[in-house]
Amino acid sequence: MDKLIFKVRNLKKVYNNKIVLDVDNLNFQEGKIYAIVGPNGSGKTTLLNILNLLEKPDEGQIFFYDQEITNKSNSDTLEIRRKITLVNQDPFLFHSTVYDNIAYGLKIRSIPSKVQKSRIRSALNIVGLSGFKDRKANQLSGGEAQRVVIARALVIEPEVLFLDEPTTNVDQKHIDVVERIIKKIKKEIKTTVIFTTHDLSQAYRLADEVISLLDGKIIKQVPENLLRGEIVEEGGLKRFKTMANIKFAIVSEKVGPVYISIDPRDIILSYEQFQSSARNSFLGKITKIIEQNHLVKLEIDIGIPLVVIITRESFFKMNLNLGSKVYLTFKASAVKLY
Amino acid sequence: MGFIIEGIRKAFQLIFTLDSEIFSIVLLSLRVSLTAIILASLLGVYLGFLMAIKDYWGKRFSVSLVNTLLALPTVVIGLIVYSLISRRGPLGVFGLLYTPSAMIIGQFILAVPIIIALTHSAVQGIDKRVRNTALTLGATEAQSAWMVIKEARYAVLAAVITGFGRVIAEVGAAMMLGGNIKTSTRVMTTAIALETTKGEFGFAIALGIILLFVAFSINILLHYFQSKRV
Repeated sequence: MDKLIFKVRNLKKVYNNKIVLDVDNLNFQEGKIYAIVGPNGSGKTTLLNILNLLEKPDEGQIFFYDQEITNKSNSDTLEIRRKITLVNQDPFLFHSTVYDNIAYGLKIRSIPSKVQKSRIRSALNIVGLSGFKDRKANQLSGGEAQRVVIARALVIEPEVLFLDEPTTNVDQKHIDVVERIIKKIKKEIKTTVIFTTHDLSQAYRLADEVISLLDGKIIKQVPENLLRGEIVEEGGLKRFKTMANIKFAIVSEKVGPVYISIDPRDIILSYEQFQSSARNSFLGKITKIIEQNHLVKLEIDIGIPLVVIITRESFFKMNLNLGSKVYLTFKASAVKLY
Repeated sequence: MGFIIEGIRKAFQLIFTLDSEIFSIVLLSLRVSLTAIILASLLGVYLGFLMAIKDYWGKRFSVSLVNTLLALPTVVIGLIVYSLISRRGPLGVFGLLYTPSAMIIGQFILAVPIIIALTHSAVQGIDKRVRNTALTLGATEAQSAWMVIKEARYAVLAAVITGFGRVIAEVGAAMMLGGNIKTSTRVMTTAIALETTKGEFGFAIALGIILLFVAFSINILLHYFQSKRV
């Protein structure tokens, strides 16, 4: 089972004179689940589009099994394109019924309608939407639509299923559903799955292997609380501004777009704001609690989610709960620049 | 005043007795305009689609050219086609002048820019994800193109209906190219023009009512398809 289904060599993609993807060497094995993680703009979607032959790289080669597929036209790669499929981050449903949407991939492959029927039934089963086949696509909720596009992809029995940020645009309930579906695909169908996410813990929960991208390059390990934004100057002081317009005090010489990370162990939690030398203090709400041996990992929403790691002891002493409002305090020098 | 009321009375009489001359004129109108619109749709939808999805040299020029042609006066179409197909013209040998075919040519030229322009904007309005979605599901280029047309189906149909509404109601080209010859090229619009000047109000009003009915039905249909446009 260790056959390589995709090989990527010296891949480069340039947009507006900026290298957005620069991958020397990347392999994907048959039957495994891969998570590609990284913040917005790190090149995840571009990599997926290139592997799906929707975009062409500027340099480098891609092999599907041992066949080179770089820079071939859509008609030359039809056979390969029919063995892989991509579920978009912002999926599109054709203006017809759920059934017709799922049937599309089978119709264009001229699969007999009897076979279509049974395959569509089992695909709907996997995503838990058995009774939905006659629904109109535009009457579905965001989460339901996401499950329909996964069914539409699964029904063609692809050798590789690509999912671009499958849980970004759906609510918490559907995040769990989609995660369960991915686990089910691994267990029951054994398709190779390659998905992107910016949720590191989701990546480790679901994937056999996690690939981290930062600024188009593969990096060994993704730090927690990795954020993209820019450094701005305010009254002679440097501030890091996130995409969500939240500002951190930092120590920096330069200005302009950067990545930063904050070690989750460097963040202090308190119920009251306190006087200290630390220049960053934010009020946030606890949205997730994960216990890990002697430590507790918390996700706290301060307008953006930040991960904080504290000891079990302080967790119980502070009597923290989901929804608790706490102050997060960290020093400007705890913000690491890249 | 009396002649108008008399005319209306006569008109309803002609319509309800299914007057054979009136109905042969109506049928000819429909035959000519439907033929013209079918041919114009085959070319216009195809070209409008290509203009929307392909990148080519002179694209912007061709888009503004088509939009300019929307204002083409029907008498100018009549003039141009007349000069081409009259006996002294380059296509004179085919003897097309004063035949239904000549009217079809005129109406075809009138409808093509309308259908191209409206199809172009319909296809441009279609979500860019349609093509990629079709391709990722394994479609060939042709299959993905067909899917885009299918997604634009109501708007494309509205383009065709708009073209039909324009050609069935035009009089200039039909008069110049058909010549309003009884039983062979007399259509609703040319007959109304003639009968009115002859003082045959009943006949003209009867045709007028039918033409209005056709025009209103087309508009209702158009409205229906535009409301289905998603």
